[in-house]
Order: sequence, then C-alpha cells, then structure tokens
Amino acid sequence: MRQTARVTDLLSSPRLLGDGTTIAHRPDWAWLPPGAAPTDADLTRAGRQAEQLLAGHGVTYGADRADSDHHWRLDPLPVVVDEPEWARLDAALVQRAELLDAVLHDLYGARRLLDDRVLPPTAVLSHPGFLRPVDGLRLPGGRELVLTATDLVRDASGEWCVLADRTQAPSGAGYAMEDRRVVAQVLAPVYRQASIARLGPFFHALRKALVEVAPPTAGDAPRAVLLSPGPGSETAFDQAYLASMLGLPLVEGSDLVVRAGRLFLQGIDGLEPVDVVLRRVDAEWCDSLELRAGSRLGVPGFVHALRRGTVSVVNPLGASVLENPALLGYLPRLARAVLDQDLTLASAPTWWCGEERALRHVLGRLDRLVVKPTVHGPRTTTVLGWTLSVAEREELAARIAAEPWRWVGQEPVGPVLADDDGPRAAVMRTFAVAHAGTYTVMAGGLARVADDAVVTSSAGASAKDVWVLASQPAEPDAAVREDVAGAGGRAVGYGISPRAAENLYWMGRYAERAEDGVRVLRAVADRWDDYHRSPGSAGGRALEVLLTALTPAALADGAQAAQPADADAAHVVPRPPALRDLLLDQGTPGSVARAVRRLASSAATVRDQLSTDTFGPLARIERTLRDERTRVRARQQSGGGLDVGPVPPGSVTAGLRPTLDRVLESLLAISGIAAEGLTRDVGWHLLDAGRRLERAQRLVAMLQATLVVRRPGDVEDLLLESVLLAAESAITYRRRHQRGADVASVLDLLVHDRTNPRSLAFALDRLLADLEAVPAPRSAAQRDHLLHGVADLVAELDTVAVGNEVSEDGRRVRLADALGSMLWRLREASDEIERVHFVRPAPSRALDDLWGSTYGDPGEGGER
Amino acid sequence: MSVRTYDLVHRTTYEYAQPVTDSYGRTTLTPRDLPDQRVLATSLTVDPAPADTGEHVDWFGNTTTYFGVTRPHTRLVVTARSTLEVSRTVPPRAALPDVGWRAVARAVTAGDLGLLRTDAAGLVTLREAVLPSAHVTFVEEVRDWAAPSFADERPLADVVTDLLHRVRAELTYRSGSTTVSTTQAQLLAQGAGVCQDFAHLMIAALRVHGVPARYASGYIETRPRPGRPKLRGADASHAWVSVWLPGHGWLDADPTNDQLVDDRYVVLGWGRDYHDVPPLRGVIFTEGGGATPRVEVDLVPAGSEPFV
Repeated sequence: MRQTARVTDLLSSPRLLGDGTTIAHRPDWAWLPPGAAPTDADLTRAGRQAEQLLAGHGVTYGADRADSDHHWRLDPLPVVVDEPEWARLDAALVQRAELLDAVLHDLYGARRLLDDRVLPPTAVLSHPGFLRPVDGLRLPGGRELVLTATDLVRDASGEWCVLADRTQAPSGAGYAMEDRRVVAQVLAPVYRQASIARLGPFFHALRKALVEVAPPTAGDAPRAVLLSPGPGSETAFDQAYLASMLGLPLVEGSDLVVRAGRLFLQGIDGLEPVDVVLRRVDAEWCDSLELRAGSRLGVPGFVHALRRGTVSVVNPLGASVLENPALLGYLPRLARAVLDQDLTLASAPTWWCGEERALRHVLGRLDRLVVKPTVHGPRTTTVLGWTLSVAEREELAARIAAEPWRWVGQEPVGPVLADDDGPRAAVMRTFAVAHAGTYTVMAGGLARVADDAVVTSSAGASAKDVWVLASQPAEPDAAVREDVAGAGGRAVGYGISPRAAENLYWMGRYAERAEDGVRVLRAVADRWDDYHRSPGSAGGRALEVLLTALTPAALADGAQAAQPADADAAHVVPRPPALRDLLLDQGTPGSVARAVRRLASSAATVRDQLSTDTFGPLARIERTLRDERTRVRARQQSGGGLDVGPVPPGSVTAGLRPTLDRVLESLLAISGIAAEGLTRDVGWHLLDAGRRLERAQRLVAMLQATLVVRRPGDVEDLLLESVLLAAESAITYRRRHQRGADVASVLDLLVHDRTNPRSLAFALDRLLADLEAVPAPRSAAQRDHLLHGVADLVAELDTVAVGNEVSEDGRRVRLADALGSMLWRLREASDEIERVHFVRPAPSRALDDLWGSTYGDPGEGGER
Repeated sequence: MSVRTYDLVHRTTYEYAQPVTDSYGRTTLTPRDLPDQRVLATSLTVDPAPADTGEHVDWFGNTTTYFGVTRPHTRLVVTARSTLEVSRTVPPRAALPDVGWRAVARAVTAGDLGLLRTDAAGLVTLREAVLPSAHVTFVEEVRDWAAPSFADERPLADVVTDLLHRVRAELTYRSGSTTVSTTQAQLLAQGAGVCQDFAHLMIAALRVHGVPARYASGYIETRPRPGRPKLRGADASHAWVSVWLPGHGWLDADPTNDQLVDDRYVVLGWGRDYHDVPPLRGVIFTEGGGATPRVEVDLVPAGSEPFV
C-alpha cells in the first residue's frame, strides 16, 4: 500500500478550499462526530488488516497461481459521496442506462438510428461487438441491456464525467461487495457511526432481474447459471463470489450442451435444463458454431437455442457494441432522438475519426488527446498523445488515416492536482441492473486509484469502497450480513458438472495427500534428529528403512531408494536426504508443496461450492511455504556463497518442524471446515470420497513399504512407532497397549479397527457410503466389486498369522499378498470412480473447412 | 429471354476413423430466390438424421440451416438438392452506366442517396460493403496492386472489367495453393490461388478505393469438351464478386474466369466475404481426429439422369 495513494482523495464529493474555487483533495472527515475521524495510524493499521483479510478470503485479481502477486489491493480510506449528490448521479445513471437500452434495441431491430444525422452507420457496422448473427433476437421482459457498469471520473470542476460504458459482461460487483465487507470490518468504529447506504438491494434486484428475463419455457422457478471462462480468468474471484452470492452454479462452456433447441447443464446425474445464463464470457466466444470458430469457452448451438427462445442470456450477445467509445460523442443527440431529453451525465469529449471533421480535429491535436481504438486489440491500445515522440505521432496519424473508423480522440479529463502530487488517477465504476421497469443503481461502487496516469487493476491499482452517506440509518445488522443476498435452496446435486465433481473429489485427495505428507515428514524428521549420527544402531537402521520406504524422493538416487530396503545393506545413507524439498519444492514428486498447489487449483475451480473460510487456510499454507522457501534460499546464499552444496547433516531438519506444524494446522482447518461447515450434499460426498480413497491408498502403501520385510525386534519397534505416528494413531495405541508395539496389534488398529478414523476399515466404510450418495451415470458395479473386494480382504486379514508367517528370505509373504491385493484393487477402484462419475464430453473441434477442397483443378471445360 | 433449368446436388461427406459423439453444423446451401433465379424446389438432408434442425434467414438474407446430430456416428453426409430456373443475362457494356468510381466512393462517404440510387437502408448495406472484413484486409500490397486499374475519372464499369482481366492474367489458378487463412498479401506474393482468393483480392481492391463490394457464393456449370461425356458430380462450388454500380445495382463479376456472371451460374448467397457464407461449417465432439471432407457437386440441365 503506497502512502501517497491514500492521502489524496480524487473521487469523494468535492469540498472547496478557502478561496472557494479550488477543490481540496485531502480526505475530509468533517461529517463524522468530533473526534471520530480515523488517525493516520488507524488507517495504516486498517490497511494492514485489510491486506490480511483479503489474503484470507483468497481475493485475487488475475489467474490462480502459486507465487502470484495478484492479490486484490484495497485502500481502506473510502470514497465518500453525499446523498444529494448521489441522488443526482443515480438519476443520471438510470437515464443513461435507459438510453443505452433503447439504442441497443434499435441497433438489433429497426435501425432507425443508423442515419448520418443521428448515429453514423459505420460507427456501428465497423465495431466487432455488433454481432450480425443475433440480429432481431429479443430478451423477454422488455429490456435488452440488463446489467451495465459505468466508469466515471471527476472533471476539473468536480463534476462526474463518464469515461466508458461497460456493457459486455461488466465485472466488479463482487469485488465491490467484498471491499465493503472488509472495510466495514477494518474501519468498524467509523463505519458504525455513519449511515451508509447498503449494497444488498442491488444484488436482490439482480436476482429478480434474472427471473424477469426468463423465457416462457422456464416455468415458475427459472434455473440460472453463471457462465465463466474458468479459473484462468482475471476476474475469476469476482465471478465465483457473485455466483455464490446469487446462489448460481458457476459453470464453464464445456459443462453445457444444446439438445433439441434447449440449453442444458451436463450434471453428474444427467442433463439439467438451463433457462437463464448470466455470462462472463465475451459474446463472440459463446458459440463456436455461429460466432468465433474454435472457441472452447462457449457452447456450439447456443445461438440456435437463443433463436428458439428457450434460454435467455444476460447481457444479450451483441451488447458490447455499446462499449464502442465512438458512441460517446453521439449520446447527447441520441438522448434527444430516443428519449426526447437532454443527457444529464456528461461523457469525456470524444471525437470519432470516422467523420471527416472529427478526423481533422483529432489529427490536429494528437499531442493533447487520449487516442483510443474503438476496440482494443493486440496492436491497438489506448495511447496518451502527449507521451509520443514526433515520429511515433506521425506513425499513429498514418494508422488513423488508413482506417479512421477504428479510432477516437478523447479529451483528457480529471481533477486539477498540485504539481507535487505526481501523476494520479481515480476511476469509479457504478453498476445498474434492469428491474421492475426501471434500473436499480448500486448505492456505492468500485473505486480504483493509481499513482499513474491511467488506472488498471493488472498494473496494481488499489480499490476503494464507495460510501454513500444515507439520510436514513441502515438496518442495524445490515453491515455484517448484507452479503447474503440470496443463496436460496438448490436441488441436491443441481449445478454440479462432472468437471466440478472431479475437482471436488481431487480436492479431497490432494488435501489428504498434503496432510499425510506432512505427518510422514514429521515422523521421518524426528527419527533423523535422533539417529542420523549413529547409522549402525537400531535407530539408525530404522531411520534408513523409513527414508527409503517413505521418502524415497528425498534421496539422491531415487531409483535405488524405490527398491525394498535390504536389511543387510550398507548402513550409511550416502548423502543427506532432501527432506526439505519434499515439503517446499513443487518440482519434487510427492512433495507437500505440489499437493498443496494442486489442492489450491482444484479449489479455485469450485470456489462457488466452498465456504469462503476455505481460502484463508489455503492462502496461509502457500504463504508459509513461500516464506520458508525464501528463508532457505537466503540462508544458502549467505552461508555457502556460490557453492550451494548438500546441506550438512545437522541442518537437514533445521526449521522444518515449525513449518510442518504450521502447514498441518491450516490443513486441519480445511478438513474441519469440510467436516463442520459444509452441508452433506453431493459435492461434500465427493470431497470426502476423495479424502477416504487417498487415505486408504497411502495407508496400505505405507504398511507395505514398512512391515513386509521383517526386521530385528529393536529396529521394528522403532519402525512401528513411526508408522503409528505417521498414521496419527500413536496415542490411541499407547493407551490400549502398555507394552511396546507389535505387528499384529498395529495392524489391528490401522486395518481392522472401525472406530479408528485412520484405519483402512473406517476409510472403506466412509468411501462406500459417500459413493452411494453420488449419482452414477454409468454402471458402478465394477467399482463396488473392487471396493467390496478390499473390504473382504480386510475382514479376512488374520493379523497374528500374517505377522508371524515369514518366508526364508525374511518377508511376511501373506501380508505382502494381502496388502498388494488391496492396493491393486484400490487403484483400480480409483480409475473406476473416474470412469463412472466424471464422464466429461469429448473435446470439440471445428469441422475441416471446405476451403479449396471443392475447387479442384479447372474442369474439363477449363472454366472454374 | 432464355431460361435454363438446372438440377443441383451438393453433397459433403465426412468419414471419421473414430466415432464422433455429436456434430453441430450450419449450412448455407439453399440457393437464393432472385428475380433472375427462381428456386422451384430445394431440400437439405443430413445423415444420420439430426435430433434438431432450424432454418434461419441471416443478416444478408441468405437461408441457413442449423442441425445437431447427437448420437455417435463415424460418417456424416450433408446433401442439398435443388431445382432452379436461371434467366440471368450479361448486360452489354453500352447498357451499363458510365458513373466514375471516384464519384461512387465519394457518394458512399457523403451518403448521397441520389447518386447511389438507393435508400437509407441501402446506404447501410453499402457502408458495410466498403469496410474491411474477416478475410478482406486493407494493406499496402493490395492498394499498390489495384492502383493501375483506378485511373482518375474511369467509369466504375471499366474498373471492374479491368480488374477481371488483371486477376485472370496476373494470377494462376492452382488448387490447394492456399488455405482459409491465406491473406491477400500472401496471395499476391505467391501469384497463385483459388476462386475465393481471387474474389477476396478483387473485393479488397474495390473497398480500399471506397467502392462497395461483396462476396458471392454459388456454382458454375462445367461443360465437357466437345465429344466427351459430362463427368457427374465433378462440378464445383464457386465464388465471385458483386459490385454496386449505381443505376444498375449489384453487378456480379467472376475474376477467376474473367467474365460477368450469366445463366451458367447459380447463386447460393452473399456476405462480406467467405466467412459469412461458407457452404458448411460445423463443430464435432470426438476423442479422435477430424476428417477431410469429400465434396461432390452436380449441376446439370433438369431432367438429366438423376445424380445419386
């Protein structure tokens, strides 16, 4: 958080300085009771807390990735707007939305406005957002523009001025809500003393709006989904947050299918009709058949279903034609033509170069204008004319002259700042939704500020909450609870696609894999600390078995380690094991860091199914691992100079234990949230099934690696102790057995004991119960056969007999057979689960083009 | 006025090595009904039978058909059959107006409905027809190539004739020499292409000078050399150019064969370029690969032995 960004306030209702003409840009708390204003120290503390809260909620801008700097930045100092000023803005925004809606109506209908005297046709025809395939389509309910966002700045006189309209699939409402939650918490003393308008009504209106546009085929309870481009989208958080706030399944194009002229969600239990799509996928990508070929983000046939009138999409495809900045200059004329009113809200003065006079004007003032393409592309972005060299300006002028309709020139608009303030920009995004015959404007918005001439979230702008000071006090509990706008009842399993199901299942597996990995590392590290100096002792030999059996990847030669440890082999491990890599290094197979990363990625794709509390511990684990990596790297650089050789044996585990403990703590929090914070719906059962299967597999594999070869009594005692520790059953065992451990009773506790949640029998019971609760689109007979086979093997396992029956070469052969058989079945069952439950549609591809193929060599007549 | 009656069959076959679970397609295979082209009968069949079909008249007035085949198949056959009467004649040069290309270009910019001989809706169409589009880009190479044909006061009709000659004379027809993504600059550099490329080049040449031009999709009848039998199913899809010639209307010109379009041609539809009117486009769902389509076109005088 940069200090400078905080002390300048470019968006709040303007307050004049002494002489009555200059606008103050310092925060003003005069509206608070005396003494209630937050101090600089309060704000600094609030900023820090906000940062923690946002990290804890997993709020990001930019795609999900491990070492991302893409945390959402929030400046706790709010933008404060007086109610009378806001009331005027609200009315002006409603007027603007009504105007844009009417224009949209006309452009895809009568096209009466497409006339040089009102709106030059080329301004529309040349814009890629004008989608000819959806011409003539209408949304039920009378509106075409359902959701609109407006980017506003203050001009030099302190008035609001529009920079751009966002009509494609406006983002940011979710961020605005999250900002409000955080600011209300970190500035609680101030927040409580103010009457601040609530954001909730906007989301209520949005929910109702989605019902209002539902097609007649929808019935009484229209089913809506939020269509997302996926977790790789920059605003993935905003989408998932909005989806869960509105109670909508978060789906991707590959989850949907068009059948018999209708859109369906391919649920794990078959096709579920979809009536309304709130889309965050740009229109062009929504249908690879009718729109952009090759798009994997949409659904082939979507436009066909829209033409059939069986599904509605918000905003309608084609709405982004209104984002064309060329329109800004024509809006006053359009307002008079369409609404018979003067436009109340000014836009930044904008000239569309498609008109000859405007072109001359722009080319003559390139050094003073912001030059924008009508649509952004790889080589065409906004240019600040005054930052260009003469040569660059000439090149730009040539590009504009070649295709003038692609460009606008815009007057820079912004507050007048003192010179020492440096470059500074601030934009406020407002939101409006069509509802009940008019538009409902969010009483607040998403403000963003940057120490730069332009504001972009990807370049690290900070967000601000927008407070509209209400004359009526808000409901007392409004502040805390206002985010629960909807989340009404949803049918069991509704909205869970095979993709989501698979991610939930793998979330369970990765969570368990990480947790087990930590416990194993703890058990091995303890033995290392105790015995690595005495390789010949019983402890030293137990350590060697543990290292080769449980953490082979940490050894220098993985291939050698993969073989069963030979009791008579050399006692000295040649190089100190890289236990730390098994915790920290994502590149090491089987590492905790790798499991955690995959856990986080799976979680990101099913964010709408999870409690927001899940993301706090996840973020903490990734931070802990990152911090530890940094620390280790720093130590290696300071200590070893350039030569980063093997770590001295004494420091193999240095600092490992506290990190393991911290990671485990957060993993336990995640499993606690799953156990106590989620309803037992299909999603939960999948999550749990993944955890149980993973635990069963890892337990059997551990027993196989440690107990099949019989060791001398004193070595085996230590081994068994470590196995019990790694399986989180040591305390139970000690309570039940006064003497030291023996193989039979350890097997009893870890395999047979149905009361021990760490036992194989327990895991199987739960796994079978979980799978029972999950719809199976394909026959699950083979899956159940395999799992019951494991259960039978468990029941048949005579722990005393298998413990004692040892072959000549020192192996417990019957135990080996039984465990091998179990492991094989568990792995097969895992494949079966994938096959039965996660049936995903085949990948799509475009039919080969007919180009050229029909135009063979000129025919016999020589004509073609 | 003579009238020629044709039976037309256009069949596209995809054969896959591995099953395709779903095929979604959209065709522009229904010929347009026009004053000089009457469609007597037309039908479209898809095999396997689609679970869902829908007809739609697109932005340009072409009839398109959507289909969704949603059961597994290894073979997809799309067959369009039509019977039509074509009475199109080529106007003699003397019958074409002498309006200069520059006057036309200026009138499009100024919205001079009188000179353009059109109305407000027509102006929207003409403004669209001077813009670049998916396959028609405004680049220096095209500007330079086209410049010699656009002498200052030249009548537009003569510009068109000259461009037709030049494409035929300067470029070679070579099947398979281009793909759907070949640009006009690449075409000019390699000097060879197919009819769609030639159409796109001529459209680009006209638009870059401000003259409205659009892309036409259809067929041309091939005639056997004297004494040889006609090879059935070996006719061809074809593409050419329509130019707005005020006082005449849309003038259809075929740069591949250096001639104006007459009664040997059948018009399927038109758009800004190939992208708007491919005869068939589709999306398939499969674990396997795609397939190269086999295309058969049969355009014969009505009453000939049926093509099956």
